[in-house]
Amino acid sequence: MLIYDELDMKSDPQPEPGPALGVPAVLHGRLLHVSRMATIGEMAAGVAHELNQPLTAIANYAQACSRLLARPGADPAVLQQALTEITTQAARAADIIRRLRALASRQQSERAPADVNALVREMIDLVESDARLHGVNVSLELADGLPPVLVDAGQIQHVILNFVRNSLEALASRSGGGGRLAIRTWRPSAVDVEVAVIDNGPGLTSEAISRVFDPFFSTKESGTGMGLAISNTIARTHGGSVGYRPNQPSGACFYILLPAAA
Amino acid sequence: MQEPSPVIYIVDDDEGVRNSVRFLLKSVGLTARTFASAREFLDSHQPGQPGCVVLDVRMPAMSGLELQEQLNLRGAVIPVIFITGHGDIPMAVEAMQHGAFDFLQKPFRDQDLIDRIQRALDRDTRNRSALAQHDRIRARFESLTPREREVLTLMTRGKPNKVMAAELGVSQRTVEIHRARVMEKTGASSLAQLVRMALDLESHDAAR
Repeated sequence: MLIYDELDMKSDPQPEPGPALGVPAVLHGRLLHVSRMATIGEMAAGVAHELNQPLTAIANYAQACSRLLARPGADPAVLQQALTEITTQAARAADIIRRLRALASRQQSERAPADVNALVREMIDLVESDARLHGVNVSLELADGLPPVLVDAGQIQHVILNFVRNSLEALASRSGGGGRLAIRTWRPSAVDVEVAVIDNGPGLTSEAISRVFDPFFSTKESGTGMGLAISNTIARTHGGSVGYRPNQPSGACFYILLPAAA
Repeated sequence: MQEPSPVIYIVDDDEGVRNSVRFLLKSVGLTARTFASAREFLDSHQPGQPGCVVLDVRMPAMSGLELQEQLNLRGAVIPVIFITGHGDIPMAVEAMQHGAFDFLQKPFRDQDLIDRIQRALDRDTRNRSALAQHDRIRARFESLTPREREVLTLMTRGKPNKVMAAELGVSQRTVEIHRARVMEKTGASSLAQLVRMALDLESHDAAR
């Protein structure tokens, strides 16, 4: 299960930049609270799922021991084996809780002016090695002269990587190879910078489009449905947004839109 | 012939969980085998072995639902009990709609799992004996000669010997001999039972 990889890369939500003009401070505070709750809800769901596994194992071993002890002549070696397993699974549960604590107490992340092209270039090695494994060809289409953005670089890279992973998995279902993925940066308006991950995979169905950023929604049977929900939260705490549009003539385009630093 | 004793197949990508389930089942004298993935299970699945499957819904690569579909496609009769995590209820409902035998939410009470497994094994035994019964009847029906089959068809339509003799262009005596052979070969004790066997076979073939 991959939930923890995602949680670990995520820091506490940042305080928003000041309220937008015309938005009452109280409302602004409430919106911020809602976005934090969304993050906590996502985390709680992930932790619940993870903790369920060792708890199930512990309950099974303990109940089996009770049954064995209820019969005369229980083999101490067999009981010992179950107790060792219980200890191992309890340690596993404790480890999950320790990671959760570490996450909760983590210092607020640093935001600094950054060049989105530099963020993309920094992670290209990672993206390319991942793409090679999937037999996918990667290209960069980075616009010149983009304004800087004020971001937590690690979080934004996490979002982009999330898009990339989704695309690679979508392209894996393409038979006969020929999968292509592009990371494109550009400036859709004077106040925004966009990083888009585009592929020539099957794209999303209209049902999936409406729900793709909801927690727990996944088109992959094995997906946790958390990746894009977390990306969404990260974008919102940066005063930006994430979105999807179909690529022409086919495929998917996921993007993150970030406000240009003043 | 003595049936081999049933095996419970545990398919779960979480090693801790699958080993604990096997241990639990062993403590009540049940034989279990564990598999880390749906593929691993499918590759070693022997349709002739009685048992049931205890299957985790959420797994990477091939999910529990896809495995159920694969089993359906192969015409496997083995009952599947789904184990779901927290919040997977919609998935469990979908599994039931796809023919799952039952489902259970993690963590579960041992007795709940054992009871469900027992019911699944009972179902498996009934399924297999029904199949075996069909195969036996089919073999008997297939031993009929073409002429005997014609007679069988007319018999199941309730035609008297006289009418049959006219339709087949033979003597009533010959029809009587064929009738006796049909009853003897199929093992039917009455015309009513013969009709029932023929109908069973027909509906079973339609379902296959």
